[in-house]
Amino acid sequence: MNRSLLIPVLLILSVWVSAHAQDPPPSEKSRVNARYSLSIIDDATFYGDRSEPVPEVLNQVLIEPSFSVRSHDHLTFSSSMIGLAGTYSDNYTQLRVKETYAGLSAGDFDFTLGRKMVRWGTGYAFTAAGVLDPPRIPTDPTDRLNLNEGRDMIKADWVHGPHAFSLAWSTAALAPAQANLRDTTAFRYNVLVRGFDTALIAGDDRGGDSFGALTFTRVLGQAWEVHGEAVWREQAAVLLGAKYTISGITFIGEFYTPPNIPYYSYMEVSPVAGRQHYAFLTAGKARLRERPGWKEWSLSGSVVANLDDRSYTPVIDSSRWFGNHFSSYVHVEIPRGSKISQFGSAPYSAATSVGVRFQL
Amino acid sequence: MSRINCVLRVFLLLFLIGFLLTCVLVSHAAPATPDAEALLQRSDTFRNGWPAYVVRVKITDFESGRSDEEHLYEVSQKGTDKTYVDFMSPREKGEHLLMLGDDMWVYLPDTSRPVRITPLERLTGDASNGDVARTNYAADYSPVFLRTEKVGAVECYVLNLTAKRKGATYQRILYWVRVSDARPVRAEFYLTSGKHIKSATFDEYAPSSGKELLRKLTLYDEIRRNSHSVLEYSGAAPRSLPDKLFNQGRSDMF
Repeated sequence: MNRSLLIPVLLILSVWVSAHAQDPPPSEKSRVNARYSLSIIDDATFYGDRSEPVPEVLNQVLIEPSFSVRSHDHLTFSSSMIGLAGTYSDNYTQLRVKETYAGLSAGDFDFTLGRKMVRWGTGYAFTAAGVLDPPRIPTDPTDRLNLNEGRDMIKADWVHGPHAFSLAWSTAALAPAQANLRDTTAFRYNVLVRGFDTALIAGDDRGGDSFGALTFTRVLGQAWEVHGEAVWREQAAVLLGAKYTISGITFIGEFYTPPNIPYYSYMEVSPVAGRQHYAFLTAGKARLRERPGWKEWSLSGSVVANLDDRSYTPVIDSSRWFGNHFSSYVHVEIPRGSKISQFGSAPYSAATSVGVRFQL
Repeated sequence: MSRINCVLRVFLLLFLIGFLLTCVLVSHAAPATPDAEALLQRSDTFRNGWPAYVVRVKITDFESGRSDEEHLYEVSQKGTDKTYVDFMSPREKGEHLLMLGDDMWVYLPDTSRPVRITPLERLTGDASNGDVARTNYAADYSPVFLRTEKVGAVECYVLNLTAKRKGATYQRILYWVRVSDARPVRAEFYLTSGKHIKSATFDEYAPSSGKELLRKLTLYDEIRRNSHSVLEYSGAAPRSLPDKLFNQGRSDMF
């Protein structure tokens, strides 16, 4: 049997066997929990000094409903969509499926079928080990418009004591063509050992590379967290990072060095360039509550740099809440560097996004 | 010879009387020191009614005496070292917090990965993550009995709690528990530097699913004196919680 078919068939078979063999006794209360949320974002991005004859303003309205139903703590159905209407060089609308999946929990096993976001990488602005994760964008690591989409997959998790095993098979058949994804089979083993949250990841991209990875995070004292990834996919990729918190201000720094192969390389980087080296630094504070009248404000500043071509992009983010449901934000990116560098090649000198968000 | 005997008998009699008098006086003057460990364990039962349970916590933050923000959390706790907190407020929907032994993670939908955090980091207002997720003081602190004193009209034992594991939220807690039943009455929280950062009053208790449990707790900021947070507990009930709910590797399953 074709290997790409064998894995999902085995996963479905194990779902059936586990559901029949390992159903725990019902909990003391039969329960159905339903949750929903709705987010509406009106965003405008202004591009300064455009080097190409295209509009200087991008307007977008995003409607993002999501709901989930959990029955008897065993069955889950969750869906999250993105409706996007935009105006740039012309008007356009899109409907995206962020996540839609069904889950079954049976004994120590969890099974998931559908489109789902998983987060296996430990990097904040970069990741090499997050083979099924949404892509990290270092100038927008928080995905401020919630545009990230999950992968279509069948996944089985077995959790026993401190050990968690996951086996996933993800198809690229339903992914957007520009996503440039392949069918992926991946395995992850996660364990907490002496405070080290450690994971081993291994897998294979159909028609592509096999890969292996080791990730860790560790808290040191009351203020430091360190994290890292070491990945082998044709060549080694390494990420090291740390988070430091003092007086409510959080600093995150990361150093990342991927090989310049198609899987890792950014579009703006020349294919003949060698291994790339990146640095990322951010400082931010959510809720400036120490300053009278600034409690609803959050501020952060960051910079991401390509250390090889010496280009960089400073990023400033500010947001303010109005009550429990409305907030507004400003996001500014100022790419700098030579015209042939990764960040300096952006066709604008600054991009300023302003928007309002309603959240229910 | 008989005279010596007589003197000895009188001496022994006086010694016996003196010994008995001393025993009576000592037993009245200094009551036995209470067992601080047992007191602490008993006081924990007013916040943790069952080995595994679920409770809702509403936190209202006050600035300059005015209420300005509310947050709602559902806390699932199993044993003394497993807590899972589901954030229910519109601002925080989709966020979760997991405490496992000495380690803590927060899962934020807008960050690309689970974030390792510490119990002392602020959850909201004057409440730290540990104020909601780490409520078994007997597991985290070594108690020493200090004295007996009154808080208002309530006779209390004062315990000095010192952190005995690295996952403890505070380095030191001065803890007032009621003499009659070890019910928590008041607490002062200190950092490693010795700085007094917060105080708490345990304001109300009420029956819940057959147990007398804490219903209202107020946390006061001792650095910014104009703010405080009120934690209101409701719907506490025992619940069978599978171990896998508390596994750090299962972050994407929540």
